[in-house]
Amino acid sequence: MNDEPIISWKAAGIALGLLLTLATFLVKPLGVSTQFVVTDAIVMHQIAPTIAESNQYFSTYGVPSDWGIGYGWMLVFGMFIGGGITAMIFRDRQPEADKGSMPPMWQARFGPSEIKRYSAAFTGGVLLLFGARLAGGCTSGHMISGISQLAVSSFIFGVTTFIVAIAAAKFIYRNQGA
Amino acid sequence: MLTLLTGFLIGCAFGAILYLGGASSYRKILGTLMLKDMTVIKLMMTGIGVGSLGIYLLDLGGLANMAIKPAYVWGIVAGGAIFGVGWAVSGYCPGTCIVGASEGKKDAVATLVGALVGAFIFSMAFPVLDAMLMQNANLGKITFEDVLGINGIFIAIPFSMAMLFMSFFVLKDRYE
Repeated sequence: MNDEPIISWKAAGIALGLLLTLATFLVKPLGVSTQFVVTDAIVMHQIAPTIAESNQYFSTYGVPSDWGIGYGWMLVFGMFIGGGITAMIFRDRQPEADKGSMPPMWQARFGPSEIKRYSAAFTGGVLLLFGARLAGGCTSGHMISGISQLAVSSFIFGVTTFIVAIAAAKFIYRNQGA
Repeated sequence: MLTLLTGFLIGCAFGAILYLGGASSYRKILGTLMLKDMTVIKLMMTGIGVGSLGIYLLDLGGLANMAIKPAYVWGIVAGGAIFGVGWAVSGYCPGTCIVGASEGKKDAVATLVGALVGAFIFSMAFPVLDAMLMQNANLGKITFEDVLGINGIFIAIPFSMAMLFMSFFVLKDRYE
């Protein structure tokens, strides 16, 4: 049965914990969501510099020494390259149910419309980053790194996020039998 | 330059772990949120268990470059709730949508583009949100070390044990 991920959660979890420790030793803990703002800021500084400079949030990432391609941005870029290369090498061993752009579980509930799935994915993405920036971090920066540092803010984020996400998932897949 | 390369290599490893562990899978994420397939939560809790111990061991030698986020309660609760809905709707988080996109998953690309838009909207709304939710009820950059007033390692050891115990022995998949 080829239904399980390529490596076990034990192996992946231990590797993740060691990687987080290494990152904290070398530079700083893992984080992702800030880099979406940095990317926006880079683009804004190119196409609309006056707006970028006058925006309170973008201008935080607007001084040449601070914004742009730093450690954090390279980390996220690395995730794309590292994930992509690993996916190319191990594609054959990825469970069928995890391949492709139309998750079978989604299709069983909402049908085969690609527009529907991509619209939901897009809307979800908007909410993710809006929420992450309001809260100050995402699954990486708050939950994994923040809780590991025993930060009070990250425990608040972790608990709130899981409660709401579980409720939302149960609502989306209500009346689905199981 | 070395810092950039370090960031890139750490990112590569992070992306590889998320892919190999199945964290970029809609099925696995929703499985966890439906409380049926515990793979992703067990992965996270194991990572936190190892990471918290690792970081506070480093801290004993003054070698941990920590980055504590401020605890402005209302902004975090509101942001966390919005994030939670986005997580359940898209099936990705900001990190895993990048890995999903790198696999060529088009729904992950849609989430990635949405995320860039979401970050833009937030930046535009920042002055209002900041005044409303992010300045008040701010407890500062505190950890449980500050709250309990004891060295963090004495919290990290039992916390780490609890996380690992939960993942290895308590949480079980529940398929009907």
